[in-house]
Amino acid sequence: MNELGLVSGYLEQGEAEPPQMGFRKMFRLALKTWPYMRPMLKHLLVIGAFGISGGLVGLVTVFVGTDLWTNKVLVGEKLQPFQATVLFVDDEYVTGDPQKLGKELAPSAGQGQSIEAGLTQHQRKTVRNRLIIWGIVGSVLTALIGMFAWYYTTWIWQRINQNLRVAMTERVESLSLKYHDNHRVGDAMFRVFQDSAQIVNLLQAGIISPLLTIYGLIIGLFFVAAFDPLFSLLLVLVGIPIGWLAVVTTPRIRQRSLANRQANSELTSRSQEVFSAMKIVKANHAEGRVWKRFDADSRRALNAAYFLRLDMVLVTLVVSLLGGGMVILTEFMMVNWVIEERETFLGALVATFIGFVVWNYGAFSIARVRVAGALYGVSGLLGIWMRMQDLFIALERAFFLLDMEPDVKDPANPVAFPTPINRVTWESVSFGYNANKRIFNSVNLESNAGSVTAVVGTTGSGKSTLMSMLLRIYDPDEGRVCVNGLDLRDMAIDDIRVNTAIVLQKNVLFADTVANNIKFGTPFADRTAIEDAARVACADDFIAQMAEGYDAELGERGGKLSAGQRQRLSIARAIVRNTPILILDEPTASLDARTEQQVLANLSEWGAGKVIFLITHRLSTIRNADQIAFLENGRIKELGQHDELMARDGGRYRAFVNAEIFGNAAGEDLE
Amino acid sequence: MQQVKTLSEVNNKSSILGEVFGRNRFDDRVDQKTDVTTVESLRIIGRCIKMLMSVKGLFCAKFLMQLGLVFPALLLPWIAKIVVDNAVLQRPVGGTEVVFPPFMNPILTLIEGKDPVGIMLSLTTIYFVMLITIGSRATSRGTSAGLLQGREASSQSENTISQGSSSGNGLWGIAEFMIHVRMTQTIANNLRTLLFDRLTRLPMTALDDQRIGDSIYRVLHDAPEAPEIAYQLTLGPFFAVLGVVINLYILEYSFGKVSPELVWIAWAAIPMAFLTTFPFSGALRRTNQNKRAAGSAMTNAMEESMSNVAAVQSLGAGKQEQKRFAEKSEESFLRERYNLGVLIAIISLASAVFGVAAIYVSIIISDRIIEGAMSPGDFAVLLGVYGGIAGSFSYFGILWIKLQDRIAAVRRVFFFLDFESEYDRLGGTSLERIEKGVQFKDVNFSYPGGHQALGNIDLELHVGELVALVGPTGAGKTSLAYLIPSLLTPTSGQILIDGHDIMDLDITSLRQQITYVFQEHVLLSESIRENLLFANPQASEVNILEALTSAGCMEFIDALDDGIDTVLGRSGDTLSVGQQQRLSIARGLVRKSSVLILDEPTAALDPATENQLVASLQAAASDRLVIVIAHRLSTIRSADRIVFLDEGKVREVGSHDTLMAKTDGAYREFVAMQSVK
Repeated sequence: MNELGLVSGYLEQGEAEPPQMGFRKMFRLALKTWPYMRPMLKHLLVIGAFGISGGLVGLVTVFVGTDLWTNKVLVGEKLQPFQATVLFVDDEYVTGDPQKLGKELAPSAGQGQSIEAGLTQHQRKTVRNRLIIWGIVGSVLTALIGMFAWYYTTWIWQRINQNLRVAMTERVESLSLKYHDNHRVGDAMFRVFQDSAQIVNLLQAGIISPLLTIYGLIIGLFFVAAFDPLFSLLLVLVGIPIGWLAVVTTPRIRQRSLANRQANSELTSRSQEVFSAMKIVKANHAEGRVWKRFDADSRRALNAAYFLRLDMVLVTLVVSLLGGGMVILTEFMMVNWVIEERETFLGALVATFIGFVVWNYGAFSIARVRVAGALYGVSGLLGIWMRMQDLFIALERAFFLLDMEPDVKDPANPVAFPTPINRVTWESVSFGYNANKRIFNSVNLESNAGSVTAVVGTTGSGKSTLMSMLLRIYDPDEGRVCVNGLDLRDMAIDDIRVNTAIVLQKNVLFADTVANNIKFGTPFADRTAIEDAARVACADDFIAQMAEGYDAELGERGGKLSAGQRQRLSIARAIVRNTPILILDEPTASLDARTEQQVLANLSEWGAGKVIFLITHRLSTIRNADQIAFLENGRIKELGQHDELMARDGGRYRAFVNAEIFGNAAGEDLE
Repeated sequence: MQQVKTLSEVNNKSSILGEVFGRNRFDDRVDQKTDVTTVESLRIIGRCIKMLMSVKGLFCAKFLMQLGLVFPALLLPWIAKIVVDNAVLQRPVGGTEVVFPPFMNPILTLIEGKDPVGIMLSLTTIYFVMLITIGSRATSRGTSAGLLQGREASSQSENTISQGSSSGNGLWGIAEFMIHVRMTQTIANNLRTLLFDRLTRLPMTALDDQRIGDSIYRVLHDAPEAPEIAYQLTLGPFFAVLGVVINLYILEYSFGKVSPELVWIAWAAIPMAFLTTFPFSGALRRTNQNKRAAGSAMTNAMEESMSNVAAVQSLGAGKQEQKRFAEKSEESFLRERYNLGVLIAIISLASAVFGVAAIYVSIIISDRIIEGAMSPGDFAVLLGVYGGIAGSFSYFGILWIKLQDRIAAVRRVFFFLDFESEYDRLGGTSLERIEKGVQFKDVNFSYPGGHQALGNIDLELHVGELVALVGPTGAGKTSLAYLIPSLLTPTSGQILIDGHDIMDLDITSLRQQITYVFQEHVLLSESIRENLLFANPQASEVNILEALTSAGCMEFIDALDDGIDTVLGRSGDTLSVGQQQRLSIARGLVRKSSVLILDEPTAALDPATENQLVASLQAAASDRLVIVIAHRLSTIRSADRIVFLDEGKVREVGSHDTLMAKTDGAYREFVAMQSVK
């Protein structure tokens, strides 16, 4: 980290392909942001109008003000008629011949030894005082408007960023688990927080700033041309190598910018993963090792940031030397023209307002600022261009998420989820996470209202996946999953999920209160409903023992509860939703036998008229089911009641049960 | 709905003032402070400055580079004056009462006797030399490379560390820029890795309360503010003071006779700068704390729902979670704006004060010029000199203001650096290997909330045994097991490992000898091999395959395209839960430690796999202590001894047969429940 890495850093970096990012793509990306800006259009127009009118007023004010301060107050020339009107001074102050004014009168100006007498000391002070009053009025106004505009623009951009962020999280959360299986949480977080933030710069830096600079340049070209056309020529000449430099260096900047964002995104992922796996880290005494990896990632991110910026600074160096050289050169020329008293190119045209007919101190002051401004503008354009690359790389990463189409989509005209439901069926369902690897092959299963179906099978046989199709977490590749004979794919996802409750195998709790965790999927459940559900799940006992009862905080990921307690809260969460379909995935694995029996008894009483599925290994749970589906190698091998299946000689289910009861020896016929 | 509100509850919602400046409660459970006193601020600043010790070389280089730019910068306004007075206005050199400062003598000698064109030629040459070396007039600003950033603190932290700065340009500017970036990056890296380390070593009880998103926010977005404090409070003031001194000297030397008022106005600016900004610093600090806490809360919301997306989707809670995130995000933006509002107010006030001073100075200067005591070119010089002085003073005023944001951030970092951590238990007796076993002597344990989990535990566990911890849910089995690797520490009583009190042992060596396989199996998003190497970096290929086979993983690993090099998805979601469980058991087995604790290892396994696993556990118990927490009879039965727990007490200890022999035994009843036919 201490080394400046001029050589080594350049050797090790920069083999990767630069990201593809043409003008057309940048344009497309910019267009995509429109829906998020659209709601704020009114405000954007208001602030835009503010900016443009303010800019114009400011430009004129600065011209007149500079002329007044330098030529009139400091040097002592007489005023232009327009200036006298603005300052409310009488005709004594006004020059007799505006066209001649502006010639430097004599080396010792201010002493009144001129062709036309200048202002007296008293008059100069009057002019100055009035100018200062105008200045105060102007700056107070500008300050007030400026402060307001600062807050206002911040508000506008935050809203636009908020729109984009919310849309992104909405999309990420609705993406299928296939996406989530293959992407890191930290990456999505980085995209939502960091990459999306660049939308606020799009108008400013991506559109307004370049346009304004170009506009300023064109105006500047004409303006300096008014002083002398040679300046315009110089500006154009300087522009050529700068443009060339931009073309040559852009791919490299893009590549480094992408590398920087990726490195920082990985750092975020790494931290997130370590912080959420802290127990494992501790138990494996791996603090030192995760630290080393974090340190390496952190350095990599910082190096990426450093080299991106170093590139930018080096490119800027060339440009700024060129621009700076021109500024000094033009200044030299101008001074010479002042000495020669050369006429300005178009000065006579504006003589009513400003006294720049010939090159003089005022003309020099203002032309110097303008020429420098135009030159700095050209080189600044390159800086903006480089930052724009970073901006578009970021937007591309943000829109990557938004452009991702969820696998599971709502139909155009969804049918309503049927009530009451009679039966749930899987009809020749085939599915695989990868196209070439099937988990199921034409699975058929039917379950009727008022029955409990136990889904049994070896670990990894796809029990959970089969059930998740009922929620349209995945859609089948072939075949269909139906409720009352209606294909789930014809229904809206939200509608299905409102009518189906599941207790996941991994008990997910949130860092919130007991009550809020129970009503997680049912925000409007009242306290009675919550307490009833807790009672069915046998969770009311331990909740009552907690000091704050239902308002007790559970800690990160529910860390303060035992696994059995977490499991019961998850069951209560499903019960409170009171849906016609209930799926319990290993609901009792962490419960002791007594509690398990109690929960199951409560459930069967509560679940009359509902379709209930149980995934489980525990015999005591399985035995009481109305039907048992034994899943193996992607098919339902056996289906029936416990006694029925146990009666089958050489039955797979029978072998499965025997392994549980008698241990190793009997289980061997499974192999 | 009322409950949802408590999360982002605002205590002082009664008034707008309370809302903006109040001590608000966000999502944090461990660090709930939202206020910093001035004394604390000073202490935080002190600690930041100490961090400079780690970058001594870069710091000195930066100092020298910056110092090198001070004197050339002084020349520029005087050269500009000569351009105006002696070239543009063609007046004779030295025509007014204003005296050139001594450092201008070489240039004055150079232009002596030259006509305006000659003077301009000399000056242009000087300009060019300065342009190439230190980049004077190359751009209107110095060298720095900030990227575009968002409207919120978290999207600005990357720039804070890496944008660098130099007041110069040209080659000098680039060199100084490089040194500066490396300096701030090194400090930030040191601090954030230190914080990361401390966070991973928080005691378990604190970890339950520490939000993951908050940790991320502190490491990635709060820590980067420290280098700026260190830098701004050392080099910054030095150069500001230097600037003031030099400019005051010039003012006195060159303009003192002409216009003494100018000198005292400059002096008066010092107290003004402080008086206008200091009273607001408390408000600014608090709004900053709030803004960062709100940012953390938003990160929490996002992290939590992203990590548990399966639960969110299957519970149909997508809309609700989006709303929650939208609210947190909105709150975070709002807090940012409150902070901005306060900042705008302070800046307005400060600029008003400085504006009045500037007007007064302009009047004095123009009076002198009109009277002929000064020349128009002096206006440029004085503008430069006053720019220097005002710049330095407003620097001091703004410095304190700007520091408030950073102090607020760095306080959040130091909070966890100072938090009690397991580091405090390094360096005790080192444990080579556990030979005999673990002994509990009248151990009690209560959670911080006061809930007693374990009471009067007396128990001896020996190496060579397979022990099953059995009991109803919530009986304290997991708490008891957590005590052994010191994931929790007893409230009273003693735990002896091979006769040593656990509190006297070096915690690293202790955990080295104890492996814990958790109920909630978290796998890392890496390859299967790396997941095992994570537990034991020294494991050979053979060890890894052995462990995987014992845990019954090979059958599904063989079906994977990349075998043990398959990279697991986010938190291992591409595997079924049962498969994940087996992998995390394999991760426990590969460690070869003297004590192996498995918390419900077989819950999600089918019977055949379970039997196979139990057999490997029995084999493993020959030379170590294996502790299994289980509900499944088939697992429990194979243990050498069974410890039956209920309501935090040990009820019965013995083998399956002995305990079953007891009529009325608690264990017997427990077993009966499960095997009802």
